[in-house]
Amino acid sequence: MSRFKLSCMQVIAIAKNTYKEAIRSKIFYVLMAFAIAMLGFAVILSFLTIGSQKRVILDLGLAGISFFSVMTSIFVGIGLIYLEIEKKTIYNVLSKPLPRASFIVGRYFGLMAVLGINLIAMLIILSIALLFFKGFTPMIFYAGLFIYLELAVITAIAIFFSSIASPVLSAICTLAFYLIGHTSSTFPEMLVPLLHNDIQKKIALFFFHILPDLSILNVSNLITYNIPIAPGFTIRGIIYAVLFSTLLIFAGCLFFKKRDLV
Amino acid sequence: MTKDAILVKNLKKHFKGHLSIGRIEALKGVNLEVKEGGIYGFIGPNGAGKTTTLKIITGLIFPDEGEVQIFGKPHTDYIIRKDIGFLPESPYFYDYLTGEELVKFFGSLFGIQKKELNERTKYLLDLVGLKGKEKIPLRKYSKGMLQRVGLAQALINDAKLLILDEPMSGLDPIGRREIRDLILKLKEEGKTIFFSSHILADAEMICDEVAIIVKGKIVQKGRLEELLAKDVQFYDISFKGIETPPELKDKVVVAFEGYSMIRLKDEDEVDKALATLINKGGKIMSLMPHKTSLEEIFLSSIEEKKNE
Repeated sequence: MSRFKLSCMQVIAIAKNTYKEAIRSKIFYVLMAFAIAMLGFAVILSFLTIGSQKRVILDLGLAGISFFSVMTSIFVGIGLIYLEIEKKTIYNVLSKPLPRASFIVGRYFGLMAVLGINLIAMLIILSIALLFFKGFTPMIFYAGLFIYLELAVITAIAIFFSSIASPVLSAICTLAFYLIGHTSSTFPEMLVPLLHNDIQKKIALFFFHILPDLSILNVSNLITYNIPIAPGFTIRGIIYAVLFSTLLIFAGCLFFKKRDLV
Repeated sequence: MTKDAILVKNLKKHFKGHLSIGRIEALKGVNLEVKEGGIYGFIGPNGAGKTTTLKIITGLIFPDEGEVQIFGKPHTDYIIRKDIGFLPESPYFYDYLTGEELVKFFGSLFGIQKKELNERTKYLLDLVGLKGKEKIPLRKYSKGMLQRVGLAQALINDAKLLILDEPMSGLDPIGRREIRDLILKLKEEGKTIFFSSHILADAEMICDEVAIIVKGKIVQKGRLEELLAKDVQFYDISFKGIETPPELKDKVVVAFEGYSMIRLKDEDEVDKALATLINKGGKIMSLMPHKTSLEEIFLSSIEEKKNE
């Protein structure tokens, strides 16, 4: 068996195991319950509005799905590598003929599979609610795709930090990246003009280029308000998410490759 | 000529102290040669460097200096671990998996195909005494059961080399005996077993070779019978049929109903005494060399190291 084939089998095995770990953990069900409660809340709230019932359900529903998916991604992702070391379960795994990179990639794909299934389940629940109020639009699955792309980036950030830092630090850093990611697009127009010298401006622009720009992956508003989506938007979002996640996973693998597992 | 299953040359490793203050020298130039096809015991007190050495061999941590070869190839190539079955100390496993799921998971990391994996998992769980308990989640396993499932996963790839970190730890006397018997059976199948232990009686019973590590340095190593033979403390000769000759009277330990036993310090004395007894028509019943036990060698090694 070639090394490549063996590595692929190992990545699948690690991903399957990560999937089992997530769906057998309590945090997954707690977050899922919160997400469903949020959808219920959206429906109740829609009764209090006049005329825009469907839009409230759609808007709050998508926001709730996105928020709880990101929370699952962060709170499961931050422990994926670090807790394996902390609990010493990693010793047995990495003493096998397994490149460390395969372990990280497998953990990443495993969590992405869980998030994908979770997302589809919540989108189906939201669709049922919208069908009930005759406000269903297939575009919610388009929004789902972009939520998933955002999750790909957030999970990669969480795994990157998990391979080098403790869960608490990883959670803080990932949340910070998530918040910055939703505001970084305003750096050139809003932050840079406020700065007085060129060095500060260059630093701000440098961070604008290296930090994630999650606004590229935000389509919920466009769908809720029926704003036309520009051609190439989807491809640009997919390429951005795939490249950013790949780079982060690659960096995580590099740091993890030479790490002593004590 | 027998090849080295493991060759460790001048292995050095340090760790940072608490809060990165200070420096702990865990290994100070460890050298080991583990020949193919035997049982090698790696013994030492807690904190001596056993687990650190094993972690370096299995690629979990990296040495500051030194070299490790597995079957003549550098251990840095991960693929070499296809030939290794490893049981870590106090194995920590995914407790959300069942015993069967765990063994299959580790088997899949070796690329074992499904049909073979199912058969081998069943065989190994039977072998380690977990038949009927394979569907129970590991969080409900006792320490001994975890040790057994750990052994099963270490055997899943039918490896030529087994590295076992404290394999008897957490087992009751019956369990320890079963694991000892299993290790001996694996040796008969031609496997090399390298295991660390602080249970000296177990090591003494099954090892062909041992190395004693104290404070990160190997203080004694070699074939067990040679190490023990080096330190024969005295010889007891029992005989009957004659009175004890006058020149051996001061050596008598016991004399009872025609039987006598004398105790002698070295081989020259034994040769002379045997010649005398046989010449006088005595019948030799037994000659027993009393060797130093592994425990005594181990304790004296620690004592010597303390005095350094």
